Amino acid sequence: MIEEKLRDKEDKDKDKDKPRRVTLQIQTPRGLWNKKLPKDAALRPVYEKTTKIQQIIDDARTVFKFVENDNKYTLFIGEQQLEPNRTIVSYHLEDDALLILSVQGGNA
Amino acid sequence: MIPPEVSLDSIKTELTDALAYAASANLKTDVTTLSETNLCFYVTFHNRDRIEFYAEFNCTDYPALPPTIEFVDETRTQRGAKNLYPNVFHTNPCICMRYNRKAHGEMGGPHGEWRLIDWHLATPGGGPIDSLAMMISDLHVKILNATGRMN
Repeated sequence: MIEEKLRDKEDKDKDKDKPRRVTLQIQTPRGLWNKKLPKDAALRPVYEKTTKIQQIIDDARTVFKFVENDNKYTLFIGEQQLEPNRTIVSYHLEDDALLILSVQGGNA
Repeated sequence: MIPPEVSLDSIKTELTDALAYAASANLKTDVTTLSETNLCFYVTFHNRDRIEFYAEFNCTDYPALPPTIEFVDETRTQRGAKNLYPNVFHTNPCICMRYNRKAHGEMGGPHGEWRLIDWHLATPGGGPIDSLAMMISDLHVKILNATGRMN
């Protein structure tokens, strides 16, 4: 029992040391968004790890002026599609992780 | 029509973003064939089962007119056959998007209601796709979700 409590405390202490924010890179069809690019970006992709994926999509759309609401915007890491309602931490995304913002049109 | 040197210049300008996007999405590209006399480049898409689909972007008269996007075989000797297409497109076979010249009625495609010069407008069910990088992005997601080749 005491050992278990000690282990819990140790785990919590480890979490304390982990950074709560993460800096991402997002490749879009209109360019790369990261700490430095685009130069004139009003936002940078630095997020609390509890941020939802939808927020990153919204911010990337703002930075690159993807104003067309009828297109579908999705974030991928590799071939994995990220669910908008999940958080950054749930995907274990680390600093400088490269995400892809895809833009999908219709289909006639 | 658009002088080839003007088209080539436009394509090269747009390729910066298009190639960066393609590289991030692990799509192979070949732009070595691009010249004033051959305004074609190639992108290899794949689905989640790693089946590869080879797309040719023929950008003659781009950007006044959209590219003709056709699926070819790996050696680029066969083109337009159904089995070269992923099974997510019109079974003509054709990528039925305004940004594909082949889809337009003026070019013998199924969409007589579209005008070639309006290629950058929205296709039903979505918004505008108005650059080579956006086309690659649109195709990337659609083909990723294909379950295989068209029969």
